[in-house]
Amino acid sequence: MGKGRPFLEIFTYALDEDYRFPILEIFAFLFALGTFVFADFAGGYDRTGETMAYSLVSTLCGFPLMFIFVVLILKNVAYGLGSDLDRGVMQTLFSYPLKRRHILTARLLSSLGIAVLLFLGIQIFGLFLLAPDILATYSSTVFLTYAAHVCSPALLLAGLLLLLTLRLKRGGLALIIGVVLFFAGLIVSGLMTSIAYGTGSDLSLKIWAVINPNSALQAYYYHMGTSGFLFGGETWVPSFSEVLLYLGAGYLIVAVLFIVGYIYFDRRLEI
Amino acid sequence: MRWITLLWRIGTVALAIGLALLVAWLIPSSAEYPYRMSRPIEPEQYMTGGLEVYSPQNGLQISVEATDNVRVYLLGASSVELDNWKTLLREAYPDSESPDLEIFIEFYTVPLLFFHEAYPEQPLPDFLPLPASHGPQSQSMVWNVTVLDKGLQTHPEIILWDPPSGSVFSHELFPEDVLNIMAVVANPSSNTVEVDMEIKEVLAVAPKDRIIFPAQLLISIGIGLTIVWLFSRKFRKSIF
Repeated sequence: MGKGRPFLEIFTYALDEDYRFPILEIFAFLFALGTFVFADFAGGYDRTGETMAYSLVSTLCGFPLMFIFVVLILKNVAYGLGSDLDRGVMQTLFSYPLKRRHILTARLLSSLGIAVLLFLGIQIFGLFLLAPDILATYSSTVFLTYAAHVCSPALLLAGLLLLLTLRLKRGGLALIIGVVLFFAGLIVSGLMTSIAYGTGSDLSLKIWAVINPNSALQAYYYHMGTSGFLFGGETWVPSFSEVLLYLGAGYLIVAVLFIVGYIYFDRRLEI
Repeated sequence: MRWITLLWRIGTVALAIGLALLVAWLIPSSAEYPYRMSRPIEPEQYMTGGLEVYSPQNGLQISVEATDNVRVYLLGASSVELDNWKTLLREAYPDSESPDLEIFIEFYTVPLLFFHEAYPEQPLPDFLPLPASHGPQSQSMVWNVTVLDKGLQTHPEIILWDPPSGSVFSHELFPEDVLNIMAVVANPSSNTVEVDMEIKEVLAVAPKDRIIFPAQLLISIGIGLTIVWLFSRKFRKSIF
């Protein structure tokens, strides 16, 4: 028996656990309906095409839909993986002829991969139905905006929660911490802007942009569309290459979190 | 059996997305802010109506009634494109420093662009280039149907709706981008035509004509795959 079959076995098991009927269907319904209900074109009326595309995708990745998406990811990573550790299912999975890291990959592929695929697939399909011209003309802006929003908070929280869940070996507490961190991120975002305006220094915005690359993208596109007084407009306007750097840094942090999680799962996790 | 289960789950997800599209389709749209215009159009002249910004969730409903055959168009351009044309017009007519010209460039960008492209050497008339039948006949150069035809040949990409000529028109349009849209009614005949035009803003969650087919398709796929799964379960039970 090759490695493919046990990998698929674990992947199928994880899929069954993460997306019991009708969980997947409920989230698919919410993502699809939310794409139409929360799409807001008004933000882009007086702006350039790229700013409008950014503004539109940002409304779709705003609070209600992003929170639903984060809840799905946190439920899968914290509660799903935590339950496996808590109930001793992981011991059974370790009996498969697979390296530990492959077992975690199969688990995360289901918990994260399918969730991200579902969220992005449905939203892009919805955008295609709603505004195909915007999607076709400004596809790079749409891609960048989604990349920034998925990086933080979604993947960043998933990485943090993976570490927490492995350390605590319980999903419930990790899930609560994840939700608290999501809202803390919203508060910190506002706080950093206030600090920047208060001190006249862009350092706080730059630090926050490393953790949340979307703030750099926002400052870049809002400055592009208007020359007036807007978020970060007075203290900090990054160039496009800087935005890419912040996005890269954001993904690097996410990658580091997952690598640490993998190493811990591979070498240090005792069951 | 796993493949059947996988197909069933793909089907139920398709069904869920299809139902979401159906719900979006069922949410009623509202037609508001009617803009009415009733005026005669002189022979071989055209007029424009209401340049407004519309989006995929904020479309327009147009109805036109005329006493004789007319041609109706809906033309759309992005704000960026429109700004470029305004700049071009300001550069093309630098001597016309009248504030009225600035207002006309703002509101009649497309007709003035068409005129400029048809007669690049021709200066703008000193008087206001009012739409047809609102001024003396000498103003008609700007609003001539041949100018419109040339303009539309040069910029076919801005035509959003171009029905065959007639005397009664009704149409609902949701653009695929955020666009500045205006209605154009042209009278190609040699008689003056009375035209009544009404434009309403339609607010909707999604353009109904664009989502109903995907909704039907996804729901059909979902139901089909679920039936396959149900049959395969029944078949398995009957064997074992």
